[in-house]
Amino acid sequence: MKILLKQVTISDANSEFNGTTQDILIENGKITAIQPQLNIDADQIIHLPNAYVSQGWVDPFVHFCDPGFEYRETIESGAKAAASGGFTRVATLPNTKPIIQNKAQIEYITNTSNQYATIVHALGAISKNIEGKELAEMYEMHHAGALAFTDGLMPLQSSALMVKALQYIKAFNGIIIQIPEDTTITPHGLMNEGVVSTQMGLPGKPAVSETLMIARDIHLVEYTGSAIHFTGITTAASIQLIKEAKQKGLKVSCSVTPQHLWYCDEDLKNYDTNLKLTPPLRTKSDMLALREGLLNGVIDAITTHHTPVEVDKKVCEFEYAQPGMIGLQTAYSIINSIFKDTPEHIKTNWLGNNIRNIFNLPNAAIMPGNTAELTLYNNAETFSFSLQNNKSKSANTPFLNKPFTGKVYGIINKDKVFLNESSYHGS
Amino acid sequence: MALSTKHLLGIKDLQKEDIELILQTAVQFKEVLQRPVKKVPSLRDVTVVNLFYENSTRTRISFELAEKRLSADTINFTASGSSAAKGETLLDTVNNILSMKVDMVVMRHSASGAPHFLSKHIPAAIINAGDGINEHPTQALLDAFSMQEKFGSLKGLKVAIIGDIMHSRVALSNIYLLHKMGAEVMVAGPPTLIPPYIQQAFGVKVTYQVKEALQWCDVANVLRIQLERQNQPLFSSLREYNLSFGIRREVLENLGKEIVIMHPGPINRGVELDSDVADGPFSIILHQVENGVAVRMAALYLLSPHNH
Repeated sequence: MKILLKQVTISDANSEFNGTTQDILIENGKITAIQPQLNIDADQIIHLPNAYVSQGWVDPFVHFCDPGFEYRETIESGAKAAASGGFTRVATLPNTKPIIQNKAQIEYITNTSNQYATIVHALGAISKNIEGKELAEMYEMHHAGALAFTDGLMPLQSSALMVKALQYIKAFNGIIIQIPEDTTITPHGLMNEGVVSTQMGLPGKPAVSETLMIARDIHLVEYTGSAIHFTGITTAASIQLIKEAKQKGLKVSCSVTPQHLWYCDEDLKNYDTNLKLTPPLRTKSDMLALREGLLNGVIDAITTHHTPVEVDKKVCEFEYAQPGMIGLQTAYSIINSIFKDTPEHIKTNWLGNNIRNIFNLPNAAIMPGNTAELTLYNNAETFSFSLQNNKSKSANTPFLNKPFTGKVYGIINKDKVFLNESSYHGS
Repeated sequence: MALSTKHLLGIKDLQKEDIELILQTAVQFKEVLQRPVKKVPSLRDVTVVNLFYENSTRTRISFELAEKRLSADTINFTASGSSAAKGETLLDTVNNILSMKVDMVVMRHSASGAPHFLSKHIPAAIINAGDGINEHPTQALLDAFSMQEKFGSLKGLKVAIIGDIMHSRVALSNIYLLHKMGAEVMVAGPPTLIPPYIQQAFGVKVTYQVKEALQWCDVANVLRIQLERQNQPLFSSLREYNLSFGIRREVLENLGKEIVIMHPGPINRGVELDSDVADGPFSIILHQVENGVAVRMAALYLLSPHNH
């Protein structure tokens, strides 16, 4: 297929065209020409108002709940939500039923998602049945295409097993992803422990439950010479620990979620179950420190922790509510609204390029000859996420019907075009 | 006069004037309770459901009596042996009950914020009879009523709350109420039973020495060790707790002053309170229980559909 993108401004730190407005010709999935004006006929000519184009965005930590919890999300609905949010690649959690812990299950994810514009990678379990006791078959899962390894929503607690896992994955330059949380400290905590939790009479999870685990895992990375990615960090102290580890040259990286950049524990005062998250929302000063950490580069990337939950597990007592929120379709709008004055290519580094580097994903720099894996968006238009434009099977998000500045048009990937509104098609 | 709120979810949401109104109204109802005929028709045609998702003796009986003294029709629900035990959600249960034309809900629940959740989804007035480790507003009101009876006013009163602060909804409601009414609060107990942010959250004084609290206070509100709420061991043994943090008679006798002892019940005798203290001359524990009915009558009356 021949696709012509008219007058798009390129936001890609890895492209020599960064910051310029160009026409881009894509033929059979590859970029063949980038010029200020290309007057060529094509199967599809896309001309979007004030559009930016960047390397496709990547979210390495989403929960598509398939197989086992298809009433929350399926690979199909998740892949469509991802494409709608501008993500050309996602990696889905192994906390399914059955657990993603062998080659056949990795292949199920890959094969089921093949037909969609967004590439869905599988994350394999570190431990058998995510019990934190014995190693799962990571070597074979890696060769079957697992992007990385994690026990996902059940952070690996055993130091002994973490050492073995970090050592084991060195055989294939693998990477462990961990939600850093020592769950033995206040296992019944429902939100950040602090002034707000005390005033609300809710049991808290102290920030030290996160920093303790980060400190431990950094020591283990240093000991093993292996690699770890801390996903969705939440505290100012975590940033400091990771900064020091990076200065030592350790293979440590981290990400933050849009919700932890937007909300803090004070927003929980009405017991809003959509704000019940794992890890929890921390204090306002933590939230501001996370924004700063992203700007100064200690935090590498954005991840949504997209976690669909059915309505019955959210419209209930706070204690009984399932933690998590969906986030693929609102991530860009939130980030763009917070970081209004940040250059576009920095934001697209957080959403794409930096994650590609961490997980050794193929280079998709916007240059002739490269694969066309692109996200199309507009940084000035207003966008409201609604039940009408929601592609997920769940709607657990506090961002519903809230206007944000910044809108995703869609993606081009695998020679497929996914645009959010049909009016975008044609010239 | 009317309350500024539709529900009694917690003391946190009340204005000082609301608290004063409830306490003043309770004075009148206490007078009613001294009469030979203890019943008034204030809540005739009002139906109240007592929803107890957690065990309770005193609070449930106190509410039920208060409702009956006000001539309300009452129905009782306990979680065990009900649809809740079969897995029905709270909202379904309550909506089913309300569809039978029930006007008010009194609820005790193990989850903090459960009545707040319910208040967003149902039209009936809700009185929180204790939610998790959050609040127990009518207990704080009856404690305040009892202190006011004894001391005339709460302003400037020094109240020590002693024991398991961490798992106590009574502590939180009392702190909110006492601060709103101008009293001073100190919390005392083992550090593992005191929330680490309590000083920042409320501006209360904190001590780990019970004796220091007793020397400082006019009133010691001694809390129950909530063994059933502790998921991890938070102190070594009941024996050590009693010796280090329990209120024993000789400690009181050596203070060189008289203080008032309160306890929300049920008492773990020989743990947080020795029997000779609980039954001794300083204790107003049974007055608290008596006042509970009057205070709950006041809350029910002020929140009833007749007043809204």
